[in-house]
Amino acid sequence: MSPSEDCRVFDIQRFSIHDGPGIRTTVFLEGCPLRCAWCQNPESFVSDAARAMTPAAIVAEVLRDRDFFAVSGGGMTVSGGEPLLHLAPVRALLAEAKRHGLHTCVQTSGAVPSENVAAVLGLVDVFQFDLKHMNAERHRALTGATNERILRNATLLVERGATVQFRTPLVPGVNDDEENLNALAQFFTGLGITTMELVPYHRLYLEKYASLGLRAPREDLEPPSPSERRRAAERLRRDGVLAHVDPHE
Amino acid sequence: MSALHPKNAAQKERLLRAEHWLCMERARYYTEAHRETEGQHPSLRAAKALARVLEKMTVRIEPDELLVGNRSTKLIAPPIAPERGDFTFVFEHLFDELRAFGYRIEPHDERVLFDELIPYWRGKTVRDAKIAALESHQLSSKLDLSPGEVRRKLRSFGVRKLVRLVDEDTPETLRARAVRAGRLALELPRLVRAVRAGAGDNLKGRGRCTDTQAHIVLGHKNVLRLGFSGIREQARTRMEHARDDGERAFLESVEIVCDAMRAFSERFAALARTEASAVADPERRAELEGIADACSRVPWLPPRTFAEAVQSMWFTQNAAIISYGAGSGITPGRVDQLLFPYFEADLASGALTRAHALRLLEELIVKLNNNVVIWPNLGGAKLNHLGSDVENITLGGVDAHGNDATNELTHLFIEALANTNLATTASFRVSQKSPREFVRQVVAIHRRSNSPAFLNDETAIAALVRDGYALEDARQYCLVGCVEPSGNGDTYGATGGSKVYFPTALDMVFNRGRTTFFGNRDGVDTGDPSQMASFDEVLAAFYRQLDSLVEWVTEATNLRDAIWAERFHNPLISSTIDGCIDNAKDMTAGGARYNFGAVGGGGLGTVVDSLAAIRKFVFEDRVVTMAELGEALATDFRGREALRQRLSSGPRFGNDLDEVDSLARELVARFCAKVRSRKTACGGHYKASLISYGLNVYEGALEPATPDGRRAGEPLSNSMSPSNGAERRGPTAALSSLARIDHTAIGYGNSVNMRLPVGLLATEKGVDSAAHLVRAYFDKGGFHLQFNTADSATLRAAQRTPDAYADLIVRVSGYSAYFTRLGRRIQDDIIGRTELA
Ligand code: SF4
Repeated sequence: MSPSEDCRVFDIQRFSIHDGPGIRTTVFLEGCPLRCAWCQNPESFVSDAARAMTPAAIVAEVLRDRDFFAVSGGGMTVSGGEPLLHLAPVRALLAEAKRHGLHTCVQTSGAVPSENVAAVLGLVDVFQFDLKHMNAERHRALTGATNERILRNATLLVERGATVQFRTPLVPGVNDDEENLNALAQFFTGLGITTMELVPYHRLYLEKYASLGLRAPREDLEPPSPSERRRAAERLRRDGVLAHVDPHE
Repeated sequence: MSALHPKNAAQKERLLRAEHWLCMERARYYTEAHRETEGQHPSLRAAKALARVLEKMTVRIEPDELLVGNRSTKLIAPPIAPERGDFTFVFEHLFDELRAFGYRIEPHDERVLFDELIPYWRGKTVRDAKIAALESHQLSSKLDLSPGEVRRKLRSFGVRKLVRLVDEDTPETLRARAVRAGRLALELPRLVRAVRAGAGDNLKGRGRCTDTQAHIVLGHKNVLRLGFSGIREQARTRMEHARDDGERAFLESVEIVCDAMRAFSERFAALARTEASAVADPERRAELEGIADACSRVPWLPPRTFAEAVQSMWFTQNAAIISYGAGSGITPGRVDQLLFPYFEADLASGALTRAHALRLLEELIVKLNNNVVIWPNLGGAKLNHLGSDVENITLGGVDAHGNDATNELTHLFIEALANTNLATTASFRVSQKSPREFVRQVVAIHRRSNSPAFLNDETAIAALVRDGYALEDARQYCLVGCVEPSGNGDTYGATGGSKVYFPTALDMVFNRGRTTFFGNRDGVDTGDPSQMASFDEVLAAFYRQLDSLVEWVTEATNLRDAIWAERFHNPLISSTIDGCIDNAKDMTAGGARYNFGAVGGGGLGTVVDSLAAIRKFVFEDRVVTMAELGEALATDFRGREALRQRLSSGPRFGNDLDEVDSLARELVARFCAKVRSRKTACGGHYKASLISYGLNVYEGALEPATPDGRRAGEPLSNSMSPSNGAERRGPTAALSSLARIDHTAIGYGNSVNMRLPVGLLATEKGVDSAAHLVRAYFDKGGFHLQFNTADSATLRAAQRTPDAYADLIVRVSGYSAYFTRLGRRIQDDIIGRTELA
């Protein structure tokens, strides 16, 4: 295994149950092309938080929970940061996981070259794909990049038959307006997607910034109230998109 | 899911509001008869004494009851067995604590207690005889406990910690603290006396051997099948072949208790008839007439209906607890299996509806919760009062042929547990053949009730077979006490009571056979610790000390068991247990088909972390020498805080670390093998357990600082669980560590309490995941798992405003308990448990 396939890992979390089916171990890889105003993983771009690990070492660690995956239909989730940012290591990691028969899930923002997405297609059982905002300009204001490439990758995955779970962080005053929800619903309908997940924004992560000596970009954001969650979900349902809001988040 | 039947809701309300009383009826009548039978065979003495109690004690029928049978004059008043000596010890030394805790006593009873009972029993109890036997066999600790010495010890142990144990309030203000200090100064001389008296049965090396045995699964199966009339008949038949006076006396005593049971239930029948004629409400009249019918039949005759079967069980259960006294772990066993045939037949004939069956089960569960316990320990009830004695019910699992035995009644019990939402100790047997949804359904009860325990059939049955059970018998196992697997009405196993603490063995390595707290000079000298050149040498010394502890505690337990066998029989319980009538011998004398003894091991997590710390910091990293470490431990890390923190940063059990887990694996295997090599007085062998009964807080109070950085007096790790705060990598890592231990070697079980992440069970995915944890852990060989679910914020809120959280339930090491009724220290311990994930 060449050093170029070493992964920069900033955390490995066991008993993750909100990152795909069953009981999972989530591997967090460093690096992200975006800078979301509400990013909950600032470690992903503070480079000294991560350590280099070979895919074999990571998978060996993940396999310690193999018995828990077996009974629950779980497996390994690769998250970030943006796990598809550095293709060689993540592809090696996924290939190694597959060699051991692990179920794999990738959490992506889609903000990577389409080749990267296409290159891991056969190695990923489920993609969890974040759509943060449908308006290109607003998207840039919120994350530092427009969303054309993201929407293209979403389309590519669906058209190539991948299993994709779309998720939108629900941030009041940022992306829960009528216009954005409308555009979201239309995009899904166009792709034949009928279910998605709304992930309510929460503020617990702000502690993390403090502990890393960083300032959170937007400390003013508030979590959605129950009625705001309900309203957003109902708006999507009107267009035939069943939005699931996890009450645990 | 349904709601609790209104009549049961009323009974539950009364139970929760009931005052706690000390009632002397059982003690008084037993003593009265005992005085009259001087010189007779112990079986006959016990039979006559019980017959006297059942004949004379007050019988009551409460409003709303369908099942009748009281234990004492008050709704909550434990039947007191003065012959054991544990109760009388508490009354003599800690009566004020009991009063302060809220126990009440009628003036007449108080006079009887202090003027008649305590003087009569002085020198005659099991406890007195046990202490004398331990002394004459050089098994009691050679304590140097002058009051001054005790005070010095208390001080060196951080008297503040002990004060907190003794004193419930945690004062927030300076003034309150001053008041408390003043009170302590006044109390100290008395407490010192209590400590000295309580230490009278302290074994060499600080082992524990309680006064009681019990912890037994009743032979309800035999009572249901034969009735006491049939059991009496068996005794008569066996009498024809009686070989000696001893056999004759035992068989005669069985006949006496069978007749006494008949007369006892007839008293209730008569009372029900009288009440029926006086009641205006036709519905209640019909109920009372039904009660009268049932009581004039069961438990004397086999039940004809489901309602009679439940009534029969309740009578037998009650009478057994009266006969043995409270706090004895008298276990009903596999209630869903025992009652199912009656349920099925009545449903088929149309004599019973599901709703009525549910009402009866709910009432049975409410009644199982009126059993309180008084612990004869330092600090008494304040410290260890856990709400209820355990009458563990076993549900689910496989049948004698190995097929899944989960039935409709199992599910009805689940519903009844959820509806009653009390601190019932319920054990769910899970096998590879259990319905796929079974575990999930039980996990889901957490939303409405306390956390039930899961037991792994494959592991438990393998352990029982390994200990000598026939496979068919092993498959019928029931859980006794907290989590001890034992035979179904065929075993005299005394699963609780004798115990050693792993950290003591390590303490004795550092002190060449002495213990820091008591300073006993009676242990093995394993050499100068500062000269130990390798970790293996330390480990070898540790095992030598541990082996001695096991030898002493088993020897002591055999001496105690001989006292029971010679003086205090229990023909009632014996008559229900397979083997006793065939052998014409009381269970205490070896009459049962299977005989075992138990030795518990405490503080596994603490000692494994300590050994791992010694290996790493003394022998690998060389940051401290054995001599320095010994010195730091002896002074409770005074002036060595940096070292203490370093030590606690070491690798911990419960994090899926091979090198630490293998220490635990080896330790448990060696301990179990050593325990197993010891023979009981009745010809069986001892079986090991790793359970704390919620006592790990108390146990830690007398344990000095440990090399894992734990300060003197802090709690030990609980049961087999990792130390508090040690689990840092979530439940799957903790369970992986635990599963590396061979659970089939731990004959009397182990318990693992896992606090689930806050709110996990709020989602379907969370419920699924908890169920998957159980399944995967059991696939890996785990024996027992139970979850606590309340989050620490809730628990803290409950500490601040207990009234608002009166029904908040937690599991403490196999027990269920009301959180707000627990001592402050135990509450803090529960809050301190690792919040996983
Ligand atoms: S895509 Fe995710 S990791 Fe990257 S900045 Fe946005 S929230 Fe953070």
